[in-house]
Amino acid sequence: MKCLSIKSFALPALILVLLSASTAAAQNYTVGRTPWGDPDLQGVFTSDDMINVRTERPEEFGDRPFLTEEEYNARIEQNERNIASRTEEFAGDNPRITINPPGHWLEWGDELSRQTSLVVDPPNGRVPEVTPEAEARTQAYNALVRGDADSWENFSPYIRCITRGVTGSIFPVIYGNGTRIVQGPGYVGIQYEMVHEARIIPIVDGEHVGGDIKMWMGDAVGRWEGDTLVVETRNLSDRTGVTVNGGGTRHSENLHVVERFTRVGPDTINYEATFTDPGTWEGSWTAAFPIKQKPGYEVYEYACHEGNHAMFNSLSGSRAQEAAGGAQ
Amino acid sequence: MWGVLAMPNPAAQSLQTDMPRMPDGKPNLTGLWQTFGSAHWDILDHSASEGHFFELGAMGAFPAGQGIVVGNEIPYLPEALAQKEANFQNRLEDDPMLKCFMPGVPRTTYMPFPFQIVQGTDQILIAYEFATSNRIVRVDNDTLSPVDSWMGWSNAEWEGDTLVVDVTGFNGQAWFDHMGNYASNQLHVVERYTMMSPNHIEYEATLEDPTIFSEPWTIQLPLYRRIENNAKLLEFKCVEFTEEKLYGHLRRVEDDEDQE
Repeated sequence: MKCLSIKSFALPALILVLLSASTAAAQNYTVGRTPWGDPDLQGVFTSDDMINVRTERPEEFGDRPFLTEEEYNARIEQNERNIASRTEEFAGDNPRITINPPGHWLEWGDELSRQTSLVVDPPNGRVPEVTPEAEARTQAYNALVRGDADSWENFSPYIRCITRGVTGSIFPVIYGNGTRIVQGPGYVGIQYEMVHEARIIPIVDGEHVGGDIKMWMGDAVGRWEGDTLVVETRNLSDRTGVTVNGGGTRHSENLHVVERFTRVGPDTINYEATFTDPGTWEGSWTAAFPIKQKPGYEVYEYACHEGNHAMFNSLSGSRAQEAAGGAQ
Repeated sequence: MWGVLAMPNPAAQSLQTDMPRMPDGKPNLTGLWQTFGSAHWDILDHSASEGHFFELGAMGAFPAGQGIVVGNEIPYLPEALAQKEANFQNRLEDDPMLKCFMPGVPRTTYMPFPFQIVQGTDQILIAYEFATSNRIVRVDNDTLSPVDSWMGWSNAEWEGDTLVVDVTGFNGQAWFDHMGNYASNQLHVVERYTMMSPNHIEYEATLEDPTIFSEPWTIQLPLYRRIENNAKLLEFKCVEFTEEKLYGHLRRVEDDEDQE
């Protein structure tokens, strides 16, 4: 998370034009090397600048991937209003208390993106049609987690502090968007801030583990294509989704994810993830966005399960309501 | 291979010529490692004993083990010893490991699960299979722990071929084993990782906590490389295996009215 003290208000003058800046940087920038000769992707990165961007493109944008100048200024103004209201709430005499995290917990970008969606392919920025079997899978899941709090099983794997899934851990959310990359000879390690995930990616020609082994975060195998780290993940369980916090459509165990990490500047990695699962979507699709190093952004231990008082409180609250005759 | 470059480091004292090394000559600890034994149950010498649940029969019983504590004695202060005994009595309720909590240092090292070291130049990631716990070891970048945590805050430097990791910033909630051995948030651990051969590391940790122990004490045990060709860190996300234990009493119980 970001230290409150280094949070800065977005200044339009400092806003970079994301994609054009990245393209220019990509042309003039050569990624450094580790002492053993691999492209050096190491650092702590965050997807905070993408918080305002929806996963799927609102239909009014059509095939247009970027905001107009006017739309972009509106996004900046909206962001500034949000920051101001959260700061006011934090500093005010009568802070608004709700069941949601207080406003001052939340993070925000300071170099906002011009993207109209995280999904970049298909060209309309929308996830392809979901198959009937995946629709049924997702409806069953939604019915389970949107029901009464009869047990912990009525909550998402994220709320249960199990996981947000392999790509749900990097998609931008309200806070905890840190990704730390550590490289050793023959390996890339990725630490995701929320729920303290650590992913080990061997750089090998090897195969995946046997098909009977299913894992929430899957089995990753990496390779270098030029200066881009390409990570193929299989052996995934069918108990998560792939977008923010592991939400959305429930995919099958046959999901195949290909991620690409390309360092395009000292502080920026372009991240891309392509999802293929014929039992879930009518076609493959790709989400892409930059993750960036920000001064003062550090990844600390996130002891989610150890501190999951919300689970006790939700369940005991529901039992208390029943006892009082207030629930079915 | 990366790690077997000829070593340019004249300070390297090892007799091993096939020691995996980084380009700068430091030992390369990158790999999948695991301890043997039953220290996660009891870090002291112990006989074989029956398990908690007779239904599990032999599978649930505890094997005998030779302790990992040098001198086989932990120098508790009197009040702390009383707390350790209380921990033991309540171990089925209070042992954090049973709840899938992060095991802390050093217990995380001798959990009966592998762990992966990814050794970079100025930071080292150690990812443990149990509970997906992990930590960053900062090399030659001595920083103060900004916040207490389960796994602590690790700074390291090389002493010749030994990686010396200084760990502080604990939250004082982790135990050292299932017998209730423990420390407070004043715990200070100094770990020493010395590669003795391509496939084993001597692990030593000195534990100091003036509020719990009368003097520092030391554990020692080897870490073995998992040498199977296909050995990989798998996943043991144990939260879902503990939820019935943690929240079972809060599950909705169907009453007679519901069944009508």
